[in-house]
Amino acid sequence: MPPRSVGRRRLANRVVTAGAWTAGAIGVFVLGWIVTTVVVRGIGAWNVAFFTQLPPNGTDTGGGLANCIIGTLVITFGAAIVGLPLGFFGAIYLSEFGRAGRVATGIRAVTNIVLGVPSIIAGMFAYAILVLPSHHFSGFSASLALAFIMLPVMTRTAEDVLNLVPNELRESALAMGVPRWKATLGVVVKAARGGLITGAILAVVRVAGETAPLLFTALSSQYWMSGLFGNSGYFGGPTPNLTKEIFDLSGQPYPHLVQLAWGGALLIIVAVLGVNVLTRLLFQRGKEW
Amino acid sequence: MVDIMDMTDPGAPPAVSRPLPPRLEVTGARDAAADFDTLPSKLSVRNLDFFYGKQQALYANDLEIKEHRVTAIIGPSGCGKSTHLRCYNRIYELYRDQRATGEVVLDGQNILASGTDLLGLRRRVGMIFQKPSPFPMTVFDNIAYGLRMHFKLSKSELSERVEDALKRGALWEEVKNKLSEPGLALSGGQQQRLCIARAIAAEPELILMDEPCSAIDPVGTAKIEELVQELKSSYTIALVTHNMQQAARVSDYTAFFFEGRIVEFGATTQIFENPARKQTEEYITGRFG
Amino acid sequence: MSTAHVETGPPAGGAGAQARPRRHHFAFGDPLFRWFTIVCAATVAAAMFVLIGVLVKNSWLAIHVLGIKPLTHVAYNPSTNQYGALSSLFGTFVTTILAMLIAVPLALAISLLLVELVHPVVSRILGTSIEMLAAVPSIIFGMWGIFVVAPLMANHVEPWVQSTPLGRLGIFSGAPVGLGILTAGVVLSLMILPFITAVSRDVLQMVPTVVKEAGYGMGSTTYEVMRKISMRYALSGIAGAVFLGLGRALGETMAVAYVIGGNFTALPHSLFANGTTVSATLALNFGESSSKLETSSLIELALILFVITMVFQVIAQLWLARARRMTGSRA
Repeated sequence: MPPRSVGRRRLANRVVTAGAWTAGAIGVFVLGWIVTTVVVRGIGAWNVAFFTQLPPNGTDTGGGLANCIIGTLVITFGAAIVGLPLGFFGAIYLSEFGRAGRVATGIRAVTNIVLGVPSIIAGMFAYAILVLPSHHFSGFSASLALAFIMLPVMTRTAEDVLNLVPNELRESALAMGVPRWKATLGVVVKAARGGLITGAILAVVRVAGETAPLLFTALSSQYWMSGLFGNSGYFGGPTPNLTKEIFDLSGQPYPHLVQLAWGGALLIIVAVLGVNVLTRLLFQRGKEW
Repeated sequence: MVDIMDMTDPGAPPAVSRPLPPRLEVTGARDAAADFDTLPSKLSVRNLDFFYGKQQALYANDLEIKEHRVTAIIGPSGCGKSTHLRCYNRIYELYRDQRATGEVVLDGQNILASGTDLLGLRRRVGMIFQKPSPFPMTVFDNIAYGLRMHFKLSKSELSERVEDALKRGALWEEVKNKLSEPGLALSGGQQQRLCIARAIAAEPELILMDEPCSAIDPVGTAKIEELVQELKSSYTIALVTHNMQQAARVSDYTAFFFEGRIVEFGATTQIFENPARKQTEEYITGRFG
Repeated sequence: MSTAHVETGPPAGGAGAQARPRRHHFAFGDPLFRWFTIVCAATVAAAMFVLIGVLVKNSWLAIHVLGIKPLTHVAYNPSTNQYGALSSLFGTFVTTILAMLIAVPLALAISLLLVELVHPVVSRILGTSIEMLAAVPSIIFGMWGIFVVAPLMANHVEPWVQSTPLGRLGIFSGAPVGLGILTAGVVLSLMILPFITAVSRDVLQMVPTVVKEAGYGMGSTTYEVMRKISMRYALSGIAGAVFLGLGRALGETMAVAYVIGGNFTALPHSLFANGTTVSATLALNFGESSSKLETSSLIELALILFVITMVFQVIAQLWLARARRMTGSRA
């Protein structure tokens, strides 16, 4: 039989291989480029004032993003106390009771779909439910929007982790006469503890870096958050936060304010990447988003 | 550990570099025994060592695979049979830390030498794996895979060759109406014969079979064993099996491996009826392994 | 997995909630636990239905007043009573396609690299870097986009393109400002790249080794094994990954809002021109929304975006479910 050209096949292979290496290099290069940019432009803004003072007005120099840092922490925390437990227990349902049932399959499908909802729509969700009827913005509405995003992420991650726990563990517990709920919470969850903690941390961190949901829920503010109620409170009015503030600052014509924005960006990237790397190192977990 | 040069039985010459002189007094000795010195070797192994990283797995293997004969490689699990076989087509090179030293001479050329045309080698040496591995394509495309890759053929020639390969692989009658069904839709035994037909289609000279029946039911196994007997008139076959009875039924020559070394190699009838080494005898009679 | 609680005594029939308490076990414990977890799991579904309801309700005004005008008009300018959605939809469409054209081949190439070509340790490091890229929040991409990429495009890339024969093409015309559709597409592609890469890599890693060895054993090159065997095996999964990436690209807001230029009134005539996407329109206009109609029209835009992304999500999930069935895994 007439043979085909081996040379051409080898050449194609070599071209594609070179392409693959190039692509990998591009990916790593872009990551390095972005991180370097943020570090170089933002490190200059990091001083004591950055972490302790309010944003400056217009042409003033100095100032910081302290109120925004606190605001982001509070808003994220508010989202986490709703999103994490719901996600956790929902995942328990899907993993323990609903391996195959129709209800569980349906919920799982919906969870996957909600995972894909753009974050700005999550902001709309909170806007329509809270901001419109109450006629004011609030940090609380931002927490709701973030919880909407966090919930399916946590559910999915937790379910994957719980599924990894071997059945023998469950069966051993049940075989000792332990009721189902005790077996699940005491044994299975404990076995999956590392992965669950990692998943929770990563879900929180992912949500903390979001901007779009905060655009018309918490807005931002130049002042300290004044407690829970009242015009500048968590439930009462616009709440300062890092991401929206950075967005506003970066559009300003004053270089000093732009640098402040970069400083905020640096803080976010350090927190997000730092937590990602740390949790992976500590808990050897796979990817989540 | 068995030392190859250990002359426990002073009457028998060392069992490695040269096979035992056939003891023709054994009744029913097949041609194999007498032919050994006159038959050409398709493949000669000289001083083959193999390493998984730092761990050595094969020690100074010497073997002759005779043309148009079936050579069986037997031994307890983990003794290096598959490792040895996989040196014949250098498939181990897919894995970074595996390497082989020594010589594997196919038709006068050492295929372990650098600069060997691997693509060409693997067309001349076909391989069947323990687990049937049809490609995710139709039956027809499976058989045509090697044909399309290595040869320039017209559509009608291709169909002819596919039919021919399936006939030689004793599968044509069963699949002639199923050519456009996925290969994975066949039964286990059929899938394995599909893999054999696929390997044959590319006109190999040597066929390697790594425990081809261990995942197949007894009826399928019988069919494959019958096929092996038919194939040896056109091809040379090297077969690894953990099933001694299979080796005794099917092969002309047998090599007994233990812990990475060839303990004994010779005509099958001699190995099974009159093994020269005590260890061989113990394995054959089931005292270990 | 049965849900029977292992208590002594004959199990009560049905849900077990009617069993008389035995010993000191809280007999309602298990059914209660089960119901509690179902409720938690169902909040996701509830949230989605509430979202749909709320979006529809609040866009009703716009739908009622404007009819299908948004879908037939380009310009969005509430101050002159224009509420066209086409400028946004067009931009979303074009930037997404551009991003996919760049990201999908890159992603497949990188997964080939990760699965077949590199040392396992390098693969892990490289894979982790790609995952880190995925973790970078979109606002950072946006800032990098406008302060680093846009000037690069304006000062180097775009003038260069215009100096080649390509520059005579209409899609490369216009002042090289650096902001615009092309820059947005590039930044967007880098955002969805890690996502598609990771899912593709996972699916490709699940191709059984023995099948790949069979391919190599027949004398195939690495590329041939990947193309003819691995990709076929992983096809559904990769299609799912692509659709997931598409869904992401459609809804991405911040990175695009920064660099797309915010042109709501006309369709961009070239890749270098400013435009907008649905999410960018929302992000940039919502704050200034002054009338009920305007707000409602924006929510209507959000509803349209929601429907589009949902369609792609559903398609993606169907592909992925198919991939899972074929390989018996959870992708």
